[in-house]
Amino acid sequence: MAQSSVAARSASASAGDQTSARKKKRVSFAAGSAPPDHPSAASSPAFSALFQRPLPLYFSAALLRVGLLLYGLWQDANSPLKYTDIDYLVFTDAARFVSRGQSPYDRETYRYTPVLAWLLLPTAHVGASPLWDAVWFSSGKVLFAAADLVAGWLLERVLTSSGSGLPGLDPVAARKFAAIWLLNPMVATISTRGSSEGLLGVLVMALLSAVMARRVTLAGLLLGFSVHFKIYPFIYAPAIVWWMDAERMGSGGADKKGSPAPGQNKSKSSLISRVTTFATPARIRLAAVSLSTFVCLNAAMYICYGPPFLTHTFLHHVTRIDHRHNFSPYNTQLYLASAFPDLSALRIESVAFLPQLVLSCFLIPIVLAKKDLPAAMLAQTFAFVTFNKVCTSQYFLWYMVLLPLYLPRSSFLKDGKLGIFALSMWVASQGLWLHQGYGLEFLGLSTFLPGLWLASLGFFLVNCWILGIIIADVLL
Amino acid sequence: MRERITFVQKLGDSIDPSTLKVTDGVLSGPEVQAVLEDRLTIALDELPTELHTLLNSVHELHVRWVSPVAYEAVSPLLSRLPPGFHLFFTPARGDVDASDNLCPTLAHVFGDIACSTPADSFTPLQNDRFSHSSAFQYFQPLESLSHFIAYAQDQLCPPSDALCAARLNSLVLASSLDLSYDTISHTLKITALWPYQKQAVHAISWPELRTEVGVLSGEIPPNLEPHEVGLAGLLTVLGQDTKPSATMFAVPSRHRDAESKFSARFLEPTGTHPTLQIQLESNKPPSGGSYCSAHAYFTLPKSIFADKYQLADDLFLASKNLTALRYISQPVDLEAPEYVMKQWGSAVLLELSPPKSDKPQPWTTEVPLHLRYLAPSPGGYENIQVPYPAVFWACTAEEGTKFPTNPFERVNLGYDGLFGPRTVFWHVDPRPVSGSNRITNTIKVPVLDLDKAGWVNGVTAITVLVGFAWVAWKLAAVYVKSGYGSAPSSGTSSQIGDKKRQ
Repeated sequence: MAQSSVAARSASASAGDQTSARKKKRVSFAAGSAPPDHPSAASSPAFSALFQRPLPLYFSAALLRVGLLLYGLWQDANSPLKYTDIDYLVFTDAARFVSRGQSPYDRETYRYTPVLAWLLLPTAHVGASPLWDAVWFSSGKVLFAAADLVAGWLLERVLTSSGSGLPGLDPVAARKFAAIWLLNPMVATISTRGSSEGLLGVLVMALLSAVMARRVTLAGLLLGFSVHFKIYPFIYAPAIVWWMDAERMGSGGADKKGSPAPGQNKSKSSLISRVTTFATPARIRLAAVSLSTFVCLNAAMYICYGPPFLTHTFLHHVTRIDHRHNFSPYNTQLYLASAFPDLSALRIESVAFLPQLVLSCFLIPIVLAKKDLPAAMLAQTFAFVTFNKVCTSQYFLWYMVLLPLYLPRSSFLKDGKLGIFALSMWVASQGLWLHQGYGLEFLGLSTFLPGLWLASLGFFLVNCWILGIIIADVLL
Repeated sequence: MRERITFVQKLGDSIDPSTLKVTDGVLSGPEVQAVLEDRLTIALDELPTELHTLLNSVHELHVRWVSPVAYEAVSPLLSRLPPGFHLFFTPARGDVDASDNLCPTLAHVFGDIACSTPADSFTPLQNDRFSHSSAFQYFQPLESLSHFIAYAQDQLCPPSDALCAARLNSLVLASSLDLSYDTISHTLKITALWPYQKQAVHAISWPELRTEVGVLSGEIPPNLEPHEVGLAGLLTVLGQDTKPSATMFAVPSRHRDAESKFSARFLEPTGTHPTLQIQLESNKPPSGGSYCSAHAYFTLPKSIFADKYQLADDLFLASKNLTALRYISQPVDLEAPEYVMKQWGSAVLLELSPPKSDKPQPWTTEVPLHLRYLAPSPGGYENIQVPYPAVFWACTAEEGTKFPTNPFERVNLGYDGLFGPRTVFWHVDPRPVSGSNRITNTIKVPVLDLDKAGWVNGVTAITVLVGFAWVAWKLAAVYVKSGYGSAPSSGTSSQIGDKKRQ
């Protein structure tokens, strides 16, 4: 097994003989003839040419976004129905406040880090001509769309690397899977409408790729920044820390041979020695760098903008009632509890985080992270979103960026029927919910009970079933 | 205590002076088609203790109730407000916390008044621009004055005085009631208005009460300025005059009749983002010469609100025949459910955008609104009442025009303070939609049906546990097969498993 740690150190090095057979099988499966049921299966010459070299893929991904951006400009200028996302107006309003030396939190419902408003400062630029103003105003969308492309490029990098201990794909196959993100119309639409979730995608992919390249300090910086940016990436910390064992990081301990359960062999050793074994320099460095990045950023923002920063960026998520209809299984219960706070004996909102955090921060990292870090992170995100107290479709983007890393090894692609069935269940249960939501929002029907409630429970169970398969797939 | 009773007829409807009889302090006359205004001016120390104490902590207070039943008004008694219970208030010494007894007292006097304290429930008004504006505003729908009538009968009428009780009872038919107090006059003015209808001219003098009765009609005296309205008729002071004396005068008026109508209804289906459609009879501004713009002033109860960010896009506004959002009270929470809101709601002033055409034509404008979540209730629906807005043309009077207080005019209406002092409000008459007599709209709001909520907690908890157990089971299966170690070892173990199977 020594060769696996050697391979791990250089991302592109080929793995040893022991695993080469398995690797070959995977690579050929993904690269050669694409699986019959996968959307990228249609292998016309033009289609496969798209992936032979990087340029065509990234060019078409960029073209898709430029097209959507221009279309958005046209629609915004000519239709009362706006292409631009309402959140983008929040960000850009906040940026305008900042450009006038005010606080971004002067904009109602700005619930993000000031960094986002700073990044979008160019959108507040007002010059001589309305045309140039529109260009400046769109610069944030350009940033989000560019972040998409960078996230796609990082996807390709991670897919080709064997850094996690698993064999990498060849570049052509890697680009095909990266295309699931890069050429995904939903992803491109979300970022060109001006939603900042694409930035999260690039941050998480950069974090993962830094970890796989053993660049601990960079990973710490990215982790600290991501958590400051959107809180939820904190779930990746336990997975990354668990994954970064001494053997993998090559700082001694290479002789431990990655036994299935190192802890079990040492069951008699003292607690202190186990702690010291666990606290490798890499882990300590990651913890120190990420924690201090997070703390320093927050301190800096607090100094800049005071209590409103804390209130809107963090405390809001603690105090919000979450009464409005969304995909979360807890939604109906939370609406009830918020209206009658005295009646509910057991405060559901105070225990709802337990299954969510136990899965996404403890069980999944422990069992999966060392086997397949990207898949573990996907499962974590999937669990976090599925078990969350609020769940809207923009949260789906959080795990969608990790999906191309898992799919090459997934039973959804190996068994096309299963894949199609899972996808249609996911879409259908969402459709059912949306149908109930339409009745409520547009027709004014009281669909809360039982329609919306059962639909959200159904969607939840479908998600749990899919999550179970993702988890089981690490053994494939 | 003083009383002023005024019958106001329309232009040209004057009555023959000989038909009015004054005998022993009783004025009687024929039936006239008129608006009746009855104003009582009461000194502070003549009030019930409760109100006396309350008004001592107040710098300025105007309570204005407007009937939800449509009514016709006559010049110069034209100033309109959306139907419901309005309150404009400035605390003494600017100390809003000293008025915590205001809401309980109002609830005692008017019945179902849902405010808690001025600090929590009221919204601040822009009182920096024009000094005549009060500091805080409050509004809520209030169906009738029945509670107020019972309170007033209890406080003012001796137990045996059936006439007193009957007079107060006539407030049941009133179209509006105003209670106005300020520290400068140190008096409380109570003004009731009955709609334009047939009523007998009749007034009785009361001991210790100076009663003046006017029977007036619109008139065009010579030299009438464009910003003035003329009135002519007969005045009588009961118990003093033996016969009515004729009068004619002109007063400057900021509230005029646009002589057109509008109605408002919600587009079906209302959903949770209802659109109020306002149908106006004419797109022609009332006075040719000066600059005019059409406006709608809303007082929206807390269950419904307008999103100022949505109303910021010119294309969107134009598609709804709106020009701009001119004012919205602050703050307006865009997310909170109704049942956690302490603030009364929001006041909104929208400038409307009539179609530009030479011929007068009817037109519509649409106002996008949003519902808050209401508390769950049995049956799954709750009805809310949304008052009509006040719709008017705001026209600018000539340079140098002054509008000193006119004896029939109200200030502090919520919207008057948002315009310059030379603005004249030409009111468009609110008409009910066919089949109704009300100038409010009802929305059936979907809520969580409490009758079906019994299983929610249990089944949700079980479902989450089942989902959790399934995922945990899958994790356990992985763990049992290959522990928590890294992938190559799992490969090894599965190979071992394969060998065993072989």
